[in-house]
Formats: sequence, C-alpha cells, structure tokens
Amino acid sequence: MSKASLEATVDPEKVQGWITKIGSDSSAAVPLLQAIQSEYGYLPRKAMNLVLEGTEINASQLFGVATFYAQFRLDPVGRHMIKVCHGTACHVQGADRLNTSLRHALGIDDPKEDTAANGSYTIENVACIGCCSLAPVMLIDGEAFPNLKGADAQRHLVKHAKTKGEVLPGHTGDGDDQTDAKEK
Amino acid sequence: MSGDMVITMGEGTCGIAAGAPEVTKILKERFPEATFKAVGCIGMCHLEVMVEIESGGKSWLWGNVNKKNLPKIVRFHRGQGDLPEAMLIRSTDNTETERSQYLTRQTRIALRNVGELNPTSMEQFRARGGYSAFENIIKGGMTPEQVIEEVRVSSIRGRGGAGFPTAVKWGFARSAQGEPKYLVCNGDEGDPGAFMDRSLLEGDPHSVVEGMLIAAYAIGASKGYAYIRAEYPLALKHFAIALDDARQAGFLGHDILGSNFSFDIKIKEGAGAFVCGEETALLASIEGQRGMPRIRPPFPAIQGVFGKPTIINNVETLANIPWILKNGGAAYARIGTEKSRGTKVFALAGAVKRGGLVEVPMGMTIRQLLEEIGGGSASGRPLKAVQLGGPSGGCIPESLFDTIIDYDAINATGAIMGSGGMVVTDTKSCMVDLARFFLEFTQIESCGKCTFCRIGTLRMKELLTKICDGSGTLEDIDTLEELAQRVKDASLCGLGQTAPNPVLTTLKYFRDEYIAHVTEKRCPGGVCKGLITHTILQDKCTGCSICDRYCPVNAITGELKKPNTWVIDQKICINCGMCVEVCNPDAILAA
Repeated sequence: MSKASLEATVDPEKVQGWITKIGSDSSAAVPLLQAIQSEYGYLPRKAMNLVLEGTEINASQLFGVATFYAQFRLDPVGRHMIKVCHGTACHVQGADRLNTSLRHALGIDDPKEDTAANGSYTIENVACIGCCSLAPVMLIDGEAFPNLKGADAQRHLVKHAKTKGEVLPGHTGDGDDQTDAKEK
Repeated sequence: MSGDMVITMGEGTCGIAAGAPEVTKILKERFPEATFKAVGCIGMCHLEVMVEIESGGKSWLWGNVNKKNLPKIVRFHRGQGDLPEAMLIRSTDNTETERSQYLTRQTRIALRNVGELNPTSMEQFRARGGYSAFENIIKGGMTPEQVIEEVRVSSIRGRGGAGFPTAVKWGFARSAQGEPKYLVCNGDEGDPGAFMDRSLLEGDPHSVVEGMLIAAYAIGASKGYAYIRAEYPLALKHFAIALDDARQAGFLGHDILGSNFSFDIKIKEGAGAFVCGEETALLASIEGQRGMPRIRPPFPAIQGVFGKPTIINNVETLANIPWILKNGGAAYARIGTEKSRGTKVFALAGAVKRGGLVEVPMGMTIRQLLEEIGGGSASGRPLKAVQLGGPSGGCIPESLFDTIIDYDAINATGAIMGSGGMVVTDTKSCMVDLARFFLEFTQIESCGKCTFCRIGTLRMKELLTKICDGSGTLEDIDTLEELAQRVKDASLCGLGQTAPNPVLTTLKYFRDEYIAHVTEKRCPGGVCKGLITHTILQDKCTGCSICDRYCPVNAITGELKKPNTWVIDQKICINCGMCVEVCNPDAILAA
C-alpha cells in the first residue's frame, strides 16, 4: 500500500472552525497545528494551506514550527499508533528490543520507515511518557502497556490486531500464546 | 465488614498503565455498595495497582493488585478469607510493613496532597486547606512585598533544575516596568527519567494553580500560562478541570475575592521540544515560534513573553509555595541544609526495588535514598551508579553514594540536581552506552542555533557510537573529552552547556569502561551490541524452538526437541537479545 492511500481527506470547515476557536494571530501556530494533527494523525498539506489562507501566520513560520517540534509529522500515519517510550529508564531496561520485536511483527525492514506496508500500524519513538517506574512502556492507540519485554510487546500487538481486524504483515513468534514465553 | 465502605483507587497515569481501570471495574461489581474515590499516584509506582479499602473505621492499603489476586482481597473484606499479607502495604490493624517504609521515610510538602485527594474535586482540595494560603494573603491584607519576603525567608530555590532563588526572581519582576506582566508555569518536563511534574499536575492540580495565584499576586501579573507537555494527557485534563473550578469559585478572573487583583490562566500544550525547558525558548514557543533560546540579558523578568515582564516557575516550585505561605518561610527553611533548604522530589527508576516518586529533606544521602527508600538493587547485582538530572546531569558512582542531597554537594560531583530524575543502574549496565544514549537525545533536541551544540553534539555522538561498536581508539576518547569541554564553553543556553555532562562524568568515574571498549574490545556491562556475541549453551537447551520463533533475523536454526542441534549463526545475528528474553531454561549466553 502506498503512502498516498493513507492521505487524509481534509474538511475545510473543520480547519476554519479551529481558526475561529483558537485564533488567527501568530501565537496560534502551535495550537492550530496540534488541532490538525490530533484530527488527522499528521499535518496534511491541504490543512496547512488553509491555515496560511485564513490566518496572519506566514508559510515560513508555519512550516518552521511544524518541522521544529518533535510532536508534528508531515507524513501520513497508519490506522493505529504505537508509541514506544525511550526515556532513560526505558532505555536501560531494554526499550530497543520492543522496537526490534514490533518491527519484526509489522514487517518493517527499512530503518527509515516507521509504518507497516499495509498501513495498519505506525511505530513512533517518544522521549518520555513519565511512567519510568514501570519501564519499559509502550502505548497502542493511547493505551499503556508497562513492564514489557520484547516478546510481550509483540503479544500485545498481536492481540490488538486481532480485536481491530488488522493483519500483521511480518512474522510473530506465536505472539498470542501467553503461556509460551519466559516469565522472569 | 463491607458496610460504609470507601474504596480509594490510585488512578494516576502509572496506575492506569498498570491496570487500575480493570481492577476498579471488578471491585465495583463485587462491592456495589461501596463509595469509590479516584486519587493521583501516591508515588509507589512499583506497587501499582494500589487500592485502599476503608471499612468499619479501619483501612487497608493493598499493592500489586491485579485481577488474579483480587478475589483474595474481596474474600478478606467479605470476612470469608485470611489476610492476604503478600499484597498488604499497611493497615490500621497491622501498622507498618517493610513496604510502607517507602512512605514513612519521606517528608511530603510538594506532594502533600498527591494520592490523598481526588484531583478533580474542588471540595476535597478545600477540605484539606486548599486556597487558604491565598485567601489569607488577600483577606489579611498582605502586600506583595510581604509575600516575596516570606518566600525569601524560606530560601526556596527553583526546583526546575538550575536552583535560582525564587524570591530574587520574583523581586526582579515585581520592580520591572511594563504591563501586563505574565506568570508562566513550566510544566514541560522534558528530562527523560523525570515525572514529578506529571504526578503533581494530574494528582494535585489545584496546589499548582494556588501557587501560580500567589506568585502572580507577588509580582503583579495579570496573565498566566501553564505550559504543559502534550504527552501528559491526564495532567492536561485535570489541570483544565481545576482551572474551570477555580474560576467558578472566584479564585481566577476579575477582582478576585473582592480585591483589586485580577488574574487568569491559559493552558499552552508543549509540542515536544526539550530545549523549551530553557526559559527564553519556552517563551518563543508560547508566542507561536520555533522554541529557540536567545541571549540574556534582557532577562524574561524584564522582557519576557510578548516583550513584557515574565516569570517562569517550575511546577514543583509552585506546588511548594502555598505550603510556605501557610506555614511560614521559617518552617520551610528549618528543613534541609544550610544552602539547600526544604525538600526535593525525585523520580526514582531503573535498577532499584522500589521505584516511584519520593520527596525527601535536603541533606539525606544518596545511599539512604536508594537503599532505605528505594530498597536497594532489584536484581541482586550491586548498584553501580545513579544518573541524576537527566541529559543535563551526570552519573554519580557508587563510591560517592554518601554524598548528601544538596545543590552544591551534587554539583561538586559533576552531576546536577536538575529537576530530580534519578535513574539507577546496576553492574549489568554500560556507562559508555548511557553516555551515547544521552548524546543521541541532546543531539536530536539541539535547536541548532549554536554551531558547537549543533555539530559538536553530533560529533560526540558519532565518537561514542564508534566506541560502543568496538571501532573506537584511545585518541577518540581524548577527542571526545576535548570536544565536550568546547561544547560546554561555546553554547548559548543550558542545553548545550550541559549536554556534555553525561560524557564528562562517565569519563571521570568510569574511564576504565571506555578503555575496555577500545583496547580490549569488550563491554564490561555486556550491553554494547558490537562487542557481545550470543551463543546457545548446549547443556541447558531443551530444543523448544521459542528463540527461533522470536528471532527477528532468522539467525537461529535447529531441529524441534533436539537440544544439541540448535545454533546461532553469528553472521546473521544482530545481538538484539530477544532470544535471551524468551529462552525459558536460560540457555543463551550474551557475553
């Protein structure tokens, strides 16, 4: 599946609604982008252009802000988001293995790619979600899974995919068998 | 035993992550007659899910509750089963357990309400004396100067990291010219490994609002911003509820409590930039710009957001303010050490048994904190170091664990107090890898304005990666050290000035590990992928094939149920460690 097929359809009235609610001066740039991204999961070009037309914000500021902050993304995302925490506590407890295991299950081999080819899931690394005592932690569509090992991450993904009717394009280690993997 | 039952659930982010909603659902089914109360995290994250059950004038605090062990608690409270001691933290019957020492060794001022009240209940906050410090100021006719004086007497220093005296900062803004004046609450806790602001904002938002009100009154601010991380949705939600309730109760808005003082607060969501912890960058972000710092002076107190006088205080600092005004600056100053008064909240995580939030008086030693409160090593392996202050901080080795918690004593080690993130490591950790991790973080987070920060941190990361991969040389260690010093000296803001700290402190205390990496091509902690190999121990292998199923690169082959046939192809293996994780008989060696 190509990235183009994940492009969102932008509703101009919605964008105008945010401008009316949030404001049209230059200080509105960050919250406007946040509103757009929370709706579409990324910043569709069309929505960005509508902001430029409807506010005092110029293109240099808007794109400058969109590319500066880690939260914003200009590429479409999969139907579900997986956020893997890479804070210090998660790092020292093996957060890397979560990525290895999830990418394997999603069949994402290219290190520059973060979305499964069938558009099901996008993996994003986040700096710290503040659950350091339960490290390592990941979120799938906002639901947190604590104290993970790589295999656990895969099992939760397999379970999630089953309930959402998504197909995992990669390989799983019989990830849905809860009794299989090691308990430490 | 279930009459007049009150069930209190820890529903902070950590409690929810550990499964509190599921436990609540079951308890509601089992005890439909009970009253349920949701509170923030009381800090014992290692024991989440936590449930407190009060009944018949007694109370029991349970930890590590899940749907499997919940029936034991239910049976006990129905009078049908024995006390499930393994889950008990404390009870009014059985006084204290080893687990409850986690709380009894603390002095909770900033965290006084967290875990004790429903953060979305104005009524419960008022019942615990909330907003009374502010009311006393207004009704007692205290002048802004008197408020600043009380804060000066307390000697509180900014808890965001730099430790600048709060009263001095307020004094600058009080005397600055320009209208309106702004008060900003910095809730954009960006340090990986720190979560005290999250806990305060989601567990006791009104105390932060009250602290902001008092600060605004003291400096004469009429407008406030709460800049809160977007990654903390529960904190944002609870803070927004607190603002609405405070507005409705007349604590925000025009002529508050009939005085001439007007003040209101807007929430600004952070957008994920560590550099916004730097105050001038944070101001740029509020203005809708890229969060890039600028040269000071002019200081924000003189020329801040939209060019007007602005004070930026951290969440923890603000949460302390109502307590100081209520109990007096002198009471606060009596706690702590000569130069560092009061308490400090730490986010304890990593290789300790009991991780979570701890608030301790300044002057306690690191060892006391890690061992008496944190319970020592979780794995049984000796503790090796504590990383303090996040990417701006440094590593303190075990030999210096008797250092007291005090701004100056910590600085003398080369680390910093920072916002209070404390990540503990044991002997199965690599200090070079940890330094590389932080440099990777700061290199990504550098705003790029200063060349030394932009390029210097990138080169430092490359050198560290080279050393971790096993291709580093002794010259690389020298270059790294020299570059670290230059980045420190030639950067404009705190990010660049402190980015080399993890490198400099690990070089200072763990140079032998660097040398082992480059001369012996060995990673003493067994972490660096380029320097370890995974092999199957034939005498332990059962031939179950689980390693093969989880191996992401298909490097493992063998015949099912035939132990001696299983091998790892070293040419394919990426040393990710998945096989070690899943192997039931511990038959895979990483060394």
